Amino acid sequence: MPREPIIIFDHFTYSYPTTPNALVDIDLKIHRGEVLGVIGPNGAGKSTFCKSLNGLVPHFYGGTVKGRVLVDGKDTLEMTPAELSLKVGLVFQEPESQLSGLSLTVEDEVGFGLSMLGFPSELIRERAREALEKVGLKGFEKRSPFELSGGEQQRLAIATVLAMKPEVMVLDEPVALLDPIGKYEVLSTVIELASEGSTIVIAEHEIEEIAYFANRILALNEGRIVSLDDAKKVLAEVEKLKSLGVDPPSVAELSYMLERELGVKIGEYPITLPEALKIYGELVRERWERK
Amino acid sequence: MSSLALSILQRKPVERETFIHRLDARVKFVFFLWISIWAYIFLDYVVTLIFLAGVMVLNLLGRNFSRTMKAVSIIIVPWIAVASLILGAYFPWNKTLLVKFEGILFGYDYALYYEGIAWSVTWPLRIGVCIASAMFFLFTTDPVKLIALLFKLRVPFRFIYGIAGGLQLTPILLNDLHTIMEAQKSRGLRTDVSIMKRALHYLALIVPLTLSTLNKVQIRATALEARGFSAPVQKTWPYDLSLKRRDYAFIAGMIIMTAVFAFIYIFYGFSPICRLEFYILGYGG
Amino acid sequence: MGEKIIEVKDVWFKYSEEVTALRGVSLEIEEGELIALIGQNGSGKTTLAKNLNGLLKPTKGDVIVKGMNTKNTPTHIITNIVGYVFQNPAHQIFTKTVYEEVAYGPRNQGLSEDEVKERVRMALEMVGLTGYEETHPYDLNYGQMKLLMIASIIAMQPEVYVLDEPTSGQDHRGRRELIRLIRKLNDEGKTIIVITHDMRFVAETSERTILMANGKVIGDGPTREILSNVDLLKQTAIKPPQIVQLFHGLREYGVEVNALTIQEAFNAFKDILS
Repeated sequence: MPREPIIIFDHFTYSYPTTPNALVDIDLKIHRGEVLGVIGPNGAGKSTFCKSLNGLVPHFYGGTVKGRVLVDGKDTLEMTPAELSLKVGLVFQEPESQLSGLSLTVEDEVGFGLSMLGFPSELIRERAREALEKVGLKGFEKRSPFELSGGEQQRLAIATVLAMKPEVMVLDEPVALLDPIGKYEVLSTVIELASEGSTIVIAEHEIEEIAYFANRILALNEGRIVSLDDAKKVLAEVEKLKSLGVDPPSVAELSYMLERELGVKIGEYPITLPEALKIYGELVRERWERK
Repeated sequence: MSSLALSILQRKPVERETFIHRLDARVKFVFFLWISIWAYIFLDYVVTLIFLAGVMVLNLLGRNFSRTMKAVSIIIVPWIAVASLILGAYFPWNKTLLVKFEGILFGYDYALYYEGIAWSVTWPLRIGVCIASAMFFLFTTDPVKLIALLFKLRVPFRFIYGIAGGLQLTPILLNDLHTIMEAQKSRGLRTDVSIMKRALHYLALIVPLTLSTLNKVQIRATALEARGFSAPVQKTWPYDLSLKRRDYAFIAGMIIMTAVFAFIYIFYGFSPICRLEFYILGYGG
Repeated sequence: MGEKIIEVKDVWFKYSEEVTALRGVSLEIEEGELIALIGQNGSGKTTLAKNLNGLLKPTKGDVIVKGMNTKNTPTHIITNIVGYVFQNPAHQIFTKTVYEEVAYGPRNQGLSEDEVKERVRMALEMVGLTGYEETHPYDLNYGQMKLLMIASIIAMQPEVYVLDEPTSGQDHRGRRELIRLIRKLNDEGKTIIVITHDMRFVAETSERTILMANGKVIGDGPTREILSNVDLLKQTAIKPPQIVQLFHGLREYGVEVNALTIQEAFNAFKDILS
């Protein structure tokens, strides 16, 4: 789907003041409407990548930059994180710690970003209502953000970002600290947003989950791009992923083992359960028929 | 609607809604200052007691009575007791003897005088009025309104954040402390030993608390930045801050009482009922 | 498997009048078991775990650890037998070197400096952090910090280990390290209880799984049985590992195997296809 790129990384290299080479020579384009999954071991640069999309890197952390990141045509070095917050929204890993701490109700929290940017109250109220409904938190308006469960808080964070109507939504390991229900709630919300055509970048360890909705996957290691291609292709590179310390989806790893140890011809490895059922089901049926 | 101080103590806002709660935060804050000043102007324990009673009535209306009563009692009752025993006997301007115990103090006489006791009672009562009115303000004010108020007064935004942040984050801090305590207990930290030994474990609690809090603060700061916190624009705040009729009624009440107090002060002096004398070092009597 | 090391007898636990976290839990744990304790947040699993090492005492009912009732035994005696590793390293690290951090536990146990030194050496070797003695704990990466926390409990030589979400926040390599460590400890005869949401981890390590919901134990048995019971897991909104789901779906094609891990799946297919 040739759509125009909304974010361009032009040979971007970044070093934190205390950690050199957090990102090295990142060169890629993110297109409107695409869902980009970002995977890699801890320390690979996933978080740094996410933060360079909204200008926190380098503005908030300092450090040295080579190359540039263009968001909607403009260099992030020439924009402030405040300006960028309307273009790129970022949801962090920690549900409670990313709440502003200034809002006493859920409603206020959702409108927080907009009030920081000086939007008129009426507009804030309207957008807040819309956003809450979208993440499934309608009815929670008057509650305290701190009484919500982890999954609810993360959805609240997503709503806060949605209210600002950014072009791109970035999620940095949003479900890492959640329980299964929380994970399900948040990922369902993300899938819903993806299906509506939002541009999403999501860094995650839950590879089996993002296999369902990521269009492309970016695999990072030690700050460099190891793979950047369609999800189906990247997640099927079982050996490569394992050498990075990343586990591919179980069903893909199984195919790899069957192919390598038993010489079974699988073709395109399944990366989701439905695909796996089809392929393995076929395999089994074929065997029964031959008997 | 919740109250400021309750938000500090517990995360779940408690639902209370009275006329007092609906009063504007500014009015209640001014009241706290106003009554404390008047309590200071009059050196008269009966007058001060009347003030205290008045403030407690307001607290009663605001469903804040028992809490305030406990706090005030804990602070001023021991104070009055100790001060009375000391100043009652040794206050420099003691004149009127009340009772004398011969030889009770290692052969010396111990006598209690009126002036010393009056002084020992009056000062704590004044502080009691201060505390009771401060608690009145804190416990019946919706923190949302308070923040909105600071905001309207153009208090620098980061300062507001310090206060509001403190409100919300203190329960979390206390929670963390509890978890840290449990974690270190699992490593052998003991609470059933002497205070000396417990002091050694102090670091095991403070360091993780500080570091994990700093970490959270960092994350929050990053998140705020990502939500436009540092945008150099006029920030919006969607709260209605106008004064209502009940606020004007309360203010009118204070103005009337000011007139009454001023009248009493001018015509009856600073100690209208007890007739205490004003003591400045060197000049008394 | 050996003798009973922990008995939980009809335990109820209330945090307050309104919050009852455990509603009549009974179970027995034998020496050397490797158990996974699973359930949604709020199911009571953490509360149950904290009752096992004496941090919490039952409101009603009893917890007997090695013959001692936690209600009338000083906590520090129980914590010497049941070690509890908390989830967040930031809640525990307070010293300047890895050595000092690991030495805290044994020192609290009253051991001599020589004994402490030996315990630290042994613990660091177990988790693979030998050589890091003088490193500042915060200079370690997250996975290493979690290993450090486990080392600080290993140094106290408990017989039972309770690990609270050891894989949370870790990448897959960290998870694999952890599996290796847990198996090693279990091989030495230690009893291990892991509280976790990571079903793949459960499938790859635990022989027994206890599933909790609403303060009660609603499933307790061999991991294979519990994780393959798709209906039971659905009740608590927990998804079994992908391989389990795969083989559940393959029943339609006549495959009657309950595979838990990729290795078992592979073996199953090997049989089918030959």
